[in-house]
Amino acid sequence: MESKSVLFRGMTRRDYMRQTAAAALAALYGPAPELLAEPAPKASADALILLWMAGGMAQTETFDPKRYTPYEPGLESSRVLSTFPSIPTVVDGVRISQGLEEIAKILDRGVLIRSHRVGDLGFILHSRHQYHWHTGYEPPQPLAMPHMGAWIAKLLGPRNPDMPPFIAIGQNMEIGAESDGLKAFHTAGFLGSEYGPFMITDPRDAVASVQPPESMRGGRFENRYQQYRKLIAASPVLREASDYQRESFLRSMDNADRLLRSPAAKAFDLTLEPKESYDAYNTGRFGLGCLLARRLVEAGARFIEVSSEYIPFRHWDTHENGHERAIGMKQWIDRPVSRLIRDLEQRGLLSRTVVVLASEFGRDMMTEGKPGREVKDQVKQPAVMTSPQHYGMHRHFTEAGSVLVFGGGFRRGLLYGETAPERPCSIVKDPVTIPDLHATLYAALGIAPTAGVTIEQRPVYVTKDGKGKPVQALLSTA
Amino acid sequence: MNVFPSALAAALLPVALLAQVQAVRPVDFATEIHPLLQARCVSCHSGDSAQAGLHLDSREGLLRGGKDGPAIVPGKSAESLLILKVTGQHGTPMPPSGPRLTPDAIAVLRAWIDQGAKWDLKAGSADQPANIAPRNPPLPPGDSPNPIDRFVEAYLRGKGMAMPPPVSDAVFARRAYLDIQGLLPTPEQLQAFLADKNPRKRAALIERLLADREAYAENWISFWNDLLRNDEGVVYEGERKSITKWLLNALRSNMPYDRMVQALLNPVNKDDPDGFLIGVNWRGVVSASQSPPMQASQNSAQVFLGMNLKCAACHDSFVNRWKLRDTYGLAAMFSDAELQMVRCDVPTGKMAEPGFPLRDFTVPFDKSLASRRAAAAKWFTARENGRFARTLVNRYWKALFGRGLVEPVDDMDAAPWSQDLLDWLAWDFAEHGYDLQRLISLIMTSRAYQMPSSTQGENAKEYVFYGPRPRRLTAEQFEDALSCVSGDWRVLTPRNEAFAQYTREWRLKSDPLSRALGRPIRDQVYTERNTQASTLQALELTNGPLLRERIERAAKALLGELPPPPQNVYDSKFMRHGAAPVDVDITGARDLWLVIEDVDSYDPARVVAGWANPELSGPDGSARLSDLPGPAAPLRQFTTDAGSFSGIQAAAPSVLHWSLQGRNFTRFRAAAVIDRESNRSDINAALRFFVFTEKPEMDRLVRIQGEPPQTPPRTERTAEALVDRLYLHMLSRFPSAGEKAIAIQMATAGGRQPTVEGLEDLLWAMLMSPEFQFIL
Repeated sequence: MESKSVLFRGMTRRDYMRQTAAAALAALYGPAPELLAEPAPKASADALILLWMAGGMAQTETFDPKRYTPYEPGLESSRVLSTFPSIPTVVDGVRISQGLEEIAKILDRGVLIRSHRVGDLGFILHSRHQYHWHTGYEPPQPLAMPHMGAWIAKLLGPRNPDMPPFIAIGQNMEIGAESDGLKAFHTAGFLGSEYGPFMITDPRDAVASVQPPESMRGGRFENRYQQYRKLIAASPVLREASDYQRESFLRSMDNADRLLRSPAAKAFDLTLEPKESYDAYNTGRFGLGCLLARRLVEAGARFIEVSSEYIPFRHWDTHENGHERAIGMKQWIDRPVSRLIRDLEQRGLLSRTVVVLASEFGRDMMTEGKPGREVKDQVKQPAVMTSPQHYGMHRHFTEAGSVLVFGGGFRRGLLYGETAPERPCSIVKDPVTIPDLHATLYAALGIAPTAGVTIEQRPVYVTKDGKGKPVQALLSTA
Repeated sequence: MNVFPSALAAALLPVALLAQVQAVRPVDFATEIHPLLQARCVSCHSGDSAQAGLHLDSREGLLRGGKDGPAIVPGKSAESLLILKVTGQHGTPMPPSGPRLTPDAIAVLRAWIDQGAKWDLKAGSADQPANIAPRNPPLPPGDSPNPIDRFVEAYLRGKGMAMPPPVSDAVFARRAYLDIQGLLPTPEQLQAFLADKNPRKRAALIERLLADREAYAENWISFWNDLLRNDEGVVYEGERKSITKWLLNALRSNMPYDRMVQALLNPVNKDDPDGFLIGVNWRGVVSASQSPPMQASQNSAQVFLGMNLKCAACHDSFVNRWKLRDTYGLAAMFSDAELQMVRCDVPTGKMAEPGFPLRDFTVPFDKSLASRRAAAAKWFTARENGRFARTLVNRYWKALFGRGLVEPVDDMDAAPWSQDLLDWLAWDFAEHGYDLQRLISLIMTSRAYQMPSSTQGENAKEYVFYGPRPRRLTAEQFEDALSCVSGDWRVLTPRNEAFAQYTREWRLKSDPLSRALGRPIRDQVYTERNTQASTLQALELTNGPLLRERIERAAKALLGELPPPPQNVYDSKFMRHGAAPVDVDITGARDLWLVIEDVDSYDPARVVAGWANPELSGPDGSARLSDLPGPAAPLRQFTTDAGSFSGIQAAAPSVLHWSLQGRNFTRFRAAAVIDRESNRSDINAALRFFVFTEKPEMDRLVRIQGEPPQTPPRTERTAEALVDRLYLHMLSRFPSAGEKAIAIQMATAGGRQPTVEGLEDLLWAMLMSPEFQFIL
């Protein structure tokens, strides 16, 4: 069963041998997940970059602008749909929000989805919605569900053996009350830790995670490893033993050592980037994360997430002063996202790399949660504004969100889906659910929505219950 | 009861009925035959000491038969010995004790044989789960005093193998310390044990290690935390409740296992662990299959009975026998409201019928939640529920041998490699009051436990027991072992207490290192750790800052170069708002350090806090702190519940330093203040302020009280003695000549004396050796 599914994906024999050896090994230590035999679609991409707008990006302030009402004291909140005017884009008839001028120029390279139907999980909890989006399953679950990156790492393996297949950039895991919610989905779960995220909190420090520190340089690091191998070889215990645990342990040490000395590690070093390019990306940590993602894809990374970082009430989590903060957030993303697409294109990588920008839900000034469904409100939005602090999208809106997808077999210059021009601005055309969006992304990578593993004797699929359907209209192969 | 008076009648009468059965319907083995065999036959006719060599627990066993020949001839019931036996037409009528089989039962048996004697457990609507009835198999013959060994010897004999000689005293000692206490034996402890001439010294060591209840509890609590998904400091912005205090006490007092589970499933007293039934709940709307009672149902069945109800929480399971109504029935035992059954997120309109998934026996209850919970507690832990004890002894066997008698440990329907041993261990465990320490002692004093570890047959399809497997140290054991070796223990600072304490790893929050080593975050039930090595883990071990820092401290500690942390001269304790006066003696101080520690503010970046009116005074005069050269801290007005102040603002966290040299100050006065602006739920300041006169260590700000969990090692003077000590402590043996030469070379970096850097590298290399990371 294992061999069938792996061979279906057209892996080389060496990859296949490596995977089956790992599976044989895994089988020894507990219930190893067994791959389901699923015929895979033909891949149009080899790598995926997820640009994660953590905290709930207001769709009406970014990619789905509505009627603009400027601020004035005494303005009724219910009159405001967007706090920015819209601007034209390079795609005829498609306008996006002011502040995204650079992205407006590259919109013809991808798809803009305005009808992403995210989950509605009642009383809003960001980490829970993020878990849902990243794993495809709503928490809590009776199994430790894998992050999308872990699925891809498991099913496709690394593109370059010296490059971790799943890299997560930008999210600090200790953010106070919701830390454990974040940890719950930044994991390979039941797939096993080999497929877990290689975490880089700050892209400026990325190189430290793949390079020995200053104190270990000048040959000390290499020497330590040589002496270590000598010490192991000199051990009278286990000398003859060729047992799996010892072998796999030593092999993992070798892998780490090789990775730490590999030329691929240079990709993590942003100081090697030309100044012009570094500066162009450098709008802050997120911008540099985009730069790092580009360098890593060039070096053979498989799945990379760059998060704008979720911290309660920060970044896209605009509970107050939303207009001002949206200006800042758009400045953060506009230049680097556009530059990333251009750079990938210029290097001939965009055609085989999917870049997707998404968020756990949208925002609105009036509606908390889903229109027509009462949930506990978390923001006091006055009916009449008396201060510019009141002007912005402060409530969590789970009816609709906007998504951008570029490259890797997705269509170019396509606007997909539509929301109503008036509040509650619900989806009126072509809703794209999380399972269907995921199925489409997986399809581009050559993974069927019903691909998965058997765990505790039950099948678990990459899309919820295997029911995701690729949205063919988004793919240029359609 | 319908008992037939004579064998003849039994043989003759059911003919009409038989015809009826054959005509009407096929016999369902799973519901009609298997339970009968289980209830009346297999207690004698199964396992390693099956009567007459006859096994009635598999179709093969029936076909192979015993000393009188095959038990059945499929298609020919009249020629089948089984029928002749139960009808009394051949030898002693079977079963030899208890009521004879009813004519109906015999008729169904006949029909089953005539229909081909199909053995299909999954075919029926409800095949019988295994391992329910308690069973006390007779001990196989032999001289071994430990009954476990009698079974294991018989098992090995059956495989044409014999028990190998036990491991050496040193290997045994390392196993025993790590398995009971999770700590390495010190060189002194190890050498005393090796020198002991007492022939019973292994048993005596086990007793002694178990008797240190604190060390024992602090090792085994991680095992239980995983099972009961208990953790400190883990919240999901929803309901979750720690049971740590209760669990630690339960282990310290060696609370009988049945009483533990009764308290977990029916918490009635103030200190009882209600957190288990509450489970892990995230805020918002939760799928019906994961409501707290449904979590309680799935978790209690999995953890205590090795029963997987997870699929059947959504729909009737496709992979095992459980139905939606089973999971809901058990959930209703823990629910204060009536539960509507929901199938795949669609309400069925049917209410769950409270009840138990195994229908072999029941415990009555009335409508109240109290009564239902009490009944559930009784039902799980009833002696008749042999699965309860079997599940636990199997988990402990796995913990001590690396592999269970039954695998996977959460599927107690799977076949054990020795049914007799499993049954006997479970029987004995129940018989002796579910005594967990006694169970550990019983297993560890066996020759089976003391067999050399083996990875034999790891590629084989069928597992063959030939000793324990090498087991990887858990994350907690790894970290604690490093602390044992260096004497530099980690520090726990409870935020509301005046003193910090040295601590073992389990009490601290998980971090990237411990998570890389397999410590779960326990949002799920974890019944086994992932012990597999991975590249990500190796990267963390090779290049991660956390281990690097620990090794650096360890090397310094071993060389006597790690001074005790400086003590604060002022500690505000935990503060959320207001102002606290600071007035401390700083006579002789050359420096002043003002520290604000963030102890989990919701949004520390927006906290407004600082030091109001900071003033220094002494015999040579006084000064405002802000007039001294020092950090450029902004001045501001603070508004607090305790009034208004002006002072310097400092971030949370922050460390500010002033040099006081030559000013001869003797007193520092100020107020630690948190501005009212921070008293909002989305900032929620939580701070602790400190004053130091020496450079503080950020993770050791609070004064430490108490002793470390193990006596710190002696400082060795020579590289050779140090290397010997490290080998003894870490691997429970001396280095070989070859190893010693390399190790000394590493520790001294080619010089005469060990250096901090050299020792760091040696420690790292030894920590990374498989021999250290495994219990061999």
